[in-house]
Amino acid sequence: MIELSAINRAEVLRYLGNSRAEMTEAIELLMDECESEIIATATPKYLYKTVSLSESGLLVGESITRHMQDCENAVVLCATLGAGVDRLIRTAQVTDMAKTVVLDAMASAAIEQVCDKLDGVIAAQNEGKFLTWRFSPGYGDYPIELQKDFLTLLDAPRKIGLCTNDNSILTPTKSVTAIMGLSDTPLEQKRRGCVGCNMAKTCKFRKNGERCEF
Amino acid sequence: MNFNDLLKNDYIILDGAMGTMLQKSGLRLGEIPETLNLTHPETVKEIHRGYVEVGTQIVCANTFGANGYKLKDSGYTVDEIIRAGVKNAKEAVDGKALVALDVGPIGQLMEPSGSMSFETAYNYFKEEILAAEGADVIFFETMTDLLEVKAGVLAAKENCDKPVLVSMTFEENKRTFAGVSVASAALTLQGLGVDAIGVNCSLGPDELAPIVEEFTRWTTLPIIVKPNAGLPDPNSNTYSVLPDDFAESISKIIDFGTVKLVGGCCGTTPDYIRALKKVTDRKTYKKAAVNKDTAVCSGTTAVEISEPRVIGERINPTGKKLFKEALINNDIDYILSQAISQVNAGADILDVNVGLPEIDEKEMMLRVVKALQSIVDVPLQIDSTKPDVLEAALRIYNGKPIVNSVNGEEKSLSTVLPLVKKYGASVIGLALDEDGIPKTAEGRFEIAKRIVDRAKSLGIDPKDVYIDCLTLTVSAEQAGCMETLRALHRVKTELGCKTCLGVSNISFGLPNRPLINHIFLTMALEEGLDLPIINPNDEDMMGALRAYKVLANIDKNSTDFINSYNSVKTETKVIQSEHIALSDAIIRGLKTEAANTTKNLLEKKDAMDIVNNELIPALDSVGADFEKGKIFLPQLIQSANVAQVCFEEIKKHLTKNNDAPVSKGKIILATVKGDIHDIGKNIVKVLLDNYGYTVVDLGRDVEPQLIVDTAVKQNIKMIGLSALMTTTLGSMEETIRLVRETPELKGCKIAVGGAVLTNDYAMKIGADYYCKDAKDTVDKAKEVFGS
Repeated sequence: MIELSAINRAEVLRYLGNSRAEMTEAIELLMDECESEIIATATPKYLYKTVSLSESGLLVGESITRHMQDCENAVVLCATLGAGVDRLIRTAQVTDMAKTVVLDAMASAAIEQVCDKLDGVIAAQNEGKFLTWRFSPGYGDYPIELQKDFLTLLDAPRKIGLCTNDNSILTPTKSVTAIMGLSDTPLEQKRRGCVGCNMAKTCKFRKNGERCEF
Repeated sequence: MNFNDLLKNDYIILDGAMGTMLQKSGLRLGEIPETLNLTHPETVKEIHRGYVEVGTQIVCANTFGANGYKLKDSGYTVDEIIRAGVKNAKEAVDGKALVALDVGPIGQLMEPSGSMSFETAYNYFKEEILAAEGADVIFFETMTDLLEVKAGVLAAKENCDKPVLVSMTFEENKRTFAGVSVASAALTLQGLGVDAIGVNCSLGPDELAPIVEEFTRWTTLPIIVKPNAGLPDPNSNTYSVLPDDFAESISKIIDFGTVKLVGGCCGTTPDYIRALKKVTDRKTYKKAAVNKDTAVCSGTTAVEISEPRVIGERINPTGKKLFKEALINNDIDYILSQAISQVNAGADILDVNVGLPEIDEKEMMLRVVKALQSIVDVPLQIDSTKPDVLEAALRIYNGKPIVNSVNGEEKSLSTVLPLVKKYGASVIGLALDEDGIPKTAEGRFEIAKRIVDRAKSLGIDPKDVYIDCLTLTVSAEQAGCMETLRALHRVKTELGCKTCLGVSNISFGLPNRPLINHIFLTMALEEGLDLPIINPNDEDMMGALRAYKVLANIDKNSTDFINSYNSVKTETKVIQSEHIALSDAIIRGLKTEAANTTKNLLEKKDAMDIVNNELIPALDSVGADFEKGKIFLPQLIQSANVAQVCFEEIKKHLTKNNDAPVSKGKIILATVKGDIHDIGKNIVKVLLDNYGYTVVDLGRDVEPQLIVDTAVKQNIKMIGLSALMTTTLGSMEETIRLVRETPELKGCKIAVGGAVLTNDYAMKIGADYYCKDAKDTVDKAKEVFGS
């Protein structure tokens, strides 16, 4: 079980596309309200499974092949905040768009936090081994159409109610699928950055001078 | 032997797991288990035989995932796989057990969470059912979305006459992933006429016990229980409960009563079924007492009519100018906001009437019911005089609704009641017939009785008929009021039916109508009124009801009453509305102040003058601050919302004076086919609205043809399209192509936006404008229409 107790406000502001604006009391209150609603509504669920890369059929394209260099196995994972959060956001849209955008940003930050905690669970499970960072369908040239294969492999529709539609959009929408390379020997840490990111051209964070690199 | 023969036994033994058994016999990673029906029939048959040998009486064929969506890339057809699956099972059981077509969820989420429509789901299920001629029963398993099951059950009932069993999968919070409650599942599925309902998978027998117990309170149907062999270990994915313990736990569940069909799900083997058989052989079936009153439900929430419940009457165009306008303009959000305000005011059920001669009522009813059930949890009451509109809505309604209404006229009885029966609804019965409304209580009682008798003869539970003895205007017919109340009393006591009543008609033509209304409501409640149809936003009426519930000893310890009145918010702000400038109110996000200032200004100034010289400049200034990064996006939207309140005031003023509403031009907005992200589009809508443009919002996941048809019909000059995913840019391109190919839309401008778009790409796919954000869209609209 992964539980959320607080949502990373700095990330929320980043998703709102404007971390430089002046915080007002009203916005602060709105943030508090949205944070508690998201925490009360989210039902975080996850699945993961260790697979042999060669048998998985998931090594498609250059980006993932580079990412998985020196790994024979990988951990395939998925996580979702559940359908309730989508409904909460949908309902807010009818009466209050200002609140909606904050709820949406909160939920996006929350699912990332769930994934970060899941990283911890997986790392603890694989003590003594080495893991790459999470790589998701849609990164680089890694086909987003693989969403369905990820979910089928994890039996996600049945086990946690996570599906995709025909356009490879995950439903519920506040969800993630990813794969992490697993190795018995230390891995050269690959950099994550704007080069090779297919959002580089339109990225709002980049325009604000921010980078996702590490 | 058939299913009805089996029902004569105390218990029916089902089988155990198929999937986990196949994995043990070497199913490869990513391999579709159902293809083994053709590639390894002996393996599958061996598993079936193992279950029959230990006493299984209904075997599930290996067809759980054999639907058109999951098999799309398998190289096999649904027909091939299912025919082989049923044949294998039939051969394996060799006449010693029945064979079920096992039907699992399609594997995609339904609208509104996903994109799968009701009809798509129906067609996938139909394909499975048509291929399963050889099966004895249809068994839906592991379902989590009630509307998806409903599509399946209807597909089964309309395409075969086999018994239908349904089992759903619940979490420990007693809800499915989709939020379905046990009560909603029981009420809806029993209404649809399935033969048995219950639970399978997700949990072990001990964890499922409280969920089964809840089922016994809501249904008289035989209950199915198929737990996993405990909870799976997250690392090894193995199950920990042993066969004898499993059987013992189920034996305790059986003691709740009504449980008749037992078996196992993931992790169970013939050993578990053998143990189960041993345990059930020692027991005798008994039925639990169902102690629930008649109830209706949405997919998530059941409302038991065990005390007076409020039906909100506001979703109805009769006598409401703005509502009519919203219907004509397809303004679903206006209708949804009416729903939310009624629910917040305490409505338990919402009446939905969208009948207007100018519009296609069926199409509108479908849109509104779909939209309502995607955001509110209260059950709906489908209100139309047209049977085809009723049926369309009943089909896609997620839950057990009320049909409004049937009356004593033969034509009404013979068209409406069969629909009520087929879709398992409750129904309002109006005490009138071809001769009109009888003057006396006796006359109305007789019609009520006729309606109830006819319902009974069709197999509808009389408890699900709610009689309306009809309120007449007291100023026109003073004796009528007491006749209504006497009729209500007789219906309640002699027919045992629930009663409903539209209340506010009573006071037409009198001064101080609220006083008459709430005294009449109180009198009717005292005579046994269960379902007052009122405006829940009317504080006097809700107050009368709350007070009644205290005095009639319904609201125990006056809890609701105290909560409603004790916490009246302390006055938050002292508002000096006259003195605040409109621009200031907009920039600071103050709605009430802005509305008051607008009202004052309208007495002195021309409406367009206020729009152009006050509202728009204030919005521009907020927009500029946003672009400079001085304020947050929510603040920009809040300001726009305040401007919206000002526009509402201006609209009201103009409608009152019969002037044409202010509009700078009509713009279609839509999120393209396949895309379900619509927050960005909705932000654009708020801003355009508040710059005085009329937005025709077609929603998300919109067919290109609908966009073109609407544009042609409404003579649209600008279309805004949004797409958030690279995978849906194709739909955007397709939509643009279709617009360009339509001669009537020559000169129509297309603006596009969304996270993955660039200016270059927008031009490449033939758009006229690329909009980087909502503010930018307003600027482009100014270019198109002139500011």
